[in-house]
Amino acid sequence: MSNSLDSYLVLSGLLFAIGTFGFLARRNAISMLMSIELMINAVNLTILAFGAFVAKLRPDAAVIALIVIAVAAAEATVGLAIVIAIYRNRKTPLVDEYDSMKD
Amino acid sequence: MPIGDSIPLVGVRWDDVLFVALAATLLGSAVLVVTMRDIIRCGLALTVSFGALAGIYALLGNPLIAATQVLVYIGAISILILFAIMLTQTKNAPVRLVFQTQAWIAAGAAVVIAVVIAWTVLATTWPAGATRVFTHTADIAHKLFSDYVLPFEVVSVLLTGAVVGAVYLARREGDPGEGKSREGDRS
Amino acid sequence: MNFLIPLIPLLPLAGFAVTGLLGRQMGRQSHQIAVWAVVASWLVAMVVAFGALAHVGIATAGIDVKLWDWIPATGFHADFGFFVDPLTACLLIVVTTIGMLVHIYSIGYMAHDEGKWRFFAYLNLFMFSMLLLVLADNFLLVFAGWELVGLCSYLLIGFWYTRRSAAEAAKKAFLVNRVGDMGFALGIMAIWTQMGTLNMQAVFARIGAMPHEWQIAIALLILCGAVGKSAQFPLHVWLPDAMEGPTPVSALIHAATMVNAGVYLVARCNLIFQSASEVMVLVAAIGIFTAILAASIAFTQTDIKRVLAYSTISQLGYMFASLGVGAWTAAIFHLMSHGFFKGLLFLGSGSVIHAVDGEQDMRKMGGLARKIPITYVTMLIGSVAIAGVPPLAGFFSKDEILGGAFKNGFLWVWAIGFLVAGMTAFYMFRLMGMTFWGPSHVDPEVEHHIHESPPSMTRPLILLAVPAVFLGMLIGFPPEAGLLHTWLAPVFEGAIALSHRTEAAYTFMGVDGVLAIVTTGLVACAIVLAWRLFGVNMPSIGVNLAPRPDRVREISARPGFAFFYRGSSHKWWFDDLNNLLFVVWGGRLAAAVFWFDRTVVDGTVNGIGAVTTGAGMRLRQVQTGRVQNYALGIALGLIAMAVGYVLIAVR
Repeated sequence: MSNSLDSYLVLSGLLFAIGTFGFLARRNAISMLMSIELMINAVNLTILAFGAFVAKLRPDAAVIALIVIAVAAAEATVGLAIVIAIYRNRKTPLVDEYDSMKD
Repeated sequence: MPIGDSIPLVGVRWDDVLFVALAATLLGSAVLVVTMRDIIRCGLALTVSFGALAGIYALLGNPLIAATQVLVYIGAISILILFAIMLTQTKNAPVRLVFQTQAWIAAGAAVVIAVVIAWTVLATTWPAGATRVFTHTADIAHKLFSDYVLPFEVVSVLLTGAVVGAVYLARREGDPGEGKSREGDRS
Repeated sequence: MNFLIPLIPLLPLAGFAVTGLLGRQMGRQSHQIAVWAVVASWLVAMVVAFGALAHVGIATAGIDVKLWDWIPATGFHADFGFFVDPLTACLLIVVTTIGMLVHIYSIGYMAHDEGKWRFFAYLNLFMFSMLLLVLADNFLLVFAGWELVGLCSYLLIGFWYTRRSAAEAAKKAFLVNRVGDMGFALGIMAIWTQMGTLNMQAVFARIGAMPHEWQIAIALLILCGAVGKSAQFPLHVWLPDAMEGPTPVSALIHAATMVNAGVYLVARCNLIFQSASEVMVLVAAIGIFTAILAASIAFTQTDIKRVLAYSTISQLGYMFASLGVGAWTAAIFHLMSHGFFKGLLFLGSGSVIHAVDGEQDMRKMGGLARKIPITYVTMLIGSVAIAGVPPLAGFFSKDEILGGAFKNGFLWVWAIGFLVAGMTAFYMFRLMGMTFWGPSHVDPEVEHHIHESPPSMTRPLILLAVPAVFLGMLIGFPPEAGLLHTWLAPVFEGAIALSHRTEAAYTFMGVDGVLAIVTTGLVACAIVLAWRLFGVNMPSIGVNLAPRPDRVREISARPGFAFFYRGSSHKWWFDDLNNLLFVVWGGRLAAAVFWFDRTVVDGTVNGIGAVTTGAGMRLRQVQTGRVQNYALGIALGLIAMAVGYVLIAVR
């Protein structure tokens, strides 16, 4: 099992699905950000899995994964800063109460 | 003393056992992240899932990335998240509802995604090798600083920008740098 | 001659334009331009008519003056041109002479009317339209003139438009005419599609070669138009109501000119009709039936103008009957003589009405003979003429018709026509008795003011009385060999040849003489009967009888007569029938269609609008303003695309 590419890919697919559910279903903004982190990690897993099994992609996959991690960090930083700023304004971290753009 | 390739008597390879254990941990903690009521516990579960992922990366023959995962994700991002959680805690009791009204649809969507991806993956014959192969750090370094040097530099600029932006966004009104006149009267 | 002919309709058209544009400013003199235009037109018309009849400057077969290419389209072609032959000349004489006299009469009659300028403008427009109709050389131009006279009729009947009855009468005239015009238009279309030309002479040349069904069809359709315009049964209902218009209008349009258009059309298309001889029988039947129908209604009418209106319908019926039996020239002869004496009678009635201050009910007249002598004498002449007493015009023309009917084998037409002659004499002298003789039933206040009309009104009366007396002798004597026959022979010889009949010579000692004497006898009896019932006072021939209204009442109450009396005074219930069919049932049908339009059609359109609005309102709710809902939307869309792609790629 650990030697078949399919299992890693299916694993990452499941992780991605879980992350999607969390992103769409949770009320707290920070939970949504955590789910995004899960999704990004699932993608990272896919990239590295391919890198491990396909000779042509070998060193590139690792480099890309590295860069993805860096970008994810930057994104998490800014996202959380935004959530904090909104929290100061609205006094609540719950996204379904952010509805000033409603028709 | 070398352990050998597989568990004695049962004949299951250690690699597979490790894989299954790590995968179970990963999925389990991921589910906890998205379903638990107490958000701090969600953050902690997230940290656990990062750890499991690092293990899988190592299993895939990428110890460098595994280390980076631990350093960056567990060491920085998880902490960041926990800090943010604490800064945005509401004074009231824990909220009644964990999920929004559209949770059911989201669940359905998630299931569909999982099914589609699994099905596609299993239906395709990948041009993959028979086994996983170790990636040498020297190769990574070589690639990073020759072919990918531009993205590398851009990412560093991105990180700088992100930090500056985050600081600006998150600071309070009247912080030093803006309300100097108010303090300056006194002294 | 090519220059003169277009001038005839052009002068009244110019008169219409000037009077229409400047009339209001001209005030009391607004009639000048109109009257002079018509007088000038009359002069030119006389010259042209002379040329056509004496064959001076105009060939025997007629002259065709093409003015310009009116519609030079591919696939369709029509010219604007005029055609003058002896038949046209006869019509020109009638139209322009009576038109001119009516214009002069109107100077006095409409003197105090505020809309005088409008009246003269419309009259001029009417002259133009009628002359266009008569002079046209192709069917499309005839149709144009046809519709224009209909329009002028509408404008003039409803001249006093503030009066509801006048407006409705004008509408009725136009609508009933329209029914006939539809048939005419279809006939013109049939002519075009079958023969490829609308030029009348060309059509007549080719009609012989058409299949018989087409000859019948075209003849029938043209007959439709003629029936409408000339107020024959069943489209006769508009003419009596048209008396709502001023009296000069009744005289000009509804006695002397417009209603003759139908007769003229059939006469002009004699070759078409003769080649469809079945239709000729229909023409005769319609004509003679209309004649007796209208005459019977005239017996009980109390409005002086209505009696004359029904009389007009009846005489037009005579003309149609004459056309139908193949006595073409007799019909035109009657057209001409009728135009003069009916015009005279109408203008005279206008003078009477003017004298009694607007009263039109004959029961409130009586004994006017001494008080308005000129009117009385001229109307007496007119009545004698229409009754058919020799040697006035009516006798000659009516006798030729009856003789023609008898000799061409249409005995039933002769019999009915014979009866109608007597009826005509009776109701005309009833009119005379009630109006001029006997004791006066005039309203006492009005009685003081009874005065003769001004010369501008009496002079035309006198001028019209002359041809009423002498026309017959001038152009119709000797019978069937007079001037008129010589003039019109080339016009009708084609039709006569086609009918395979030889015109038997007039034999005074034979059939014709007997018929003439018998008819005159009946007329005399009818006149005497009318005298006995309604009174007479003519010292010059020594008769003086008092009217006997009690006797009249007694006769009309008799069991046999009572039904006829009722039917006659209800105009044989035709108006009620039309009302039931078209107004009541038509109204219900219209209401049903309106319901359908409102509910189904509008409902559908509004429904689509409502659907759009409703959908919009519901879709609006998608905009929740919440990011997570939008994120869900993105996710679902992405999933859908992925699934779709997978499914398609699997194929």
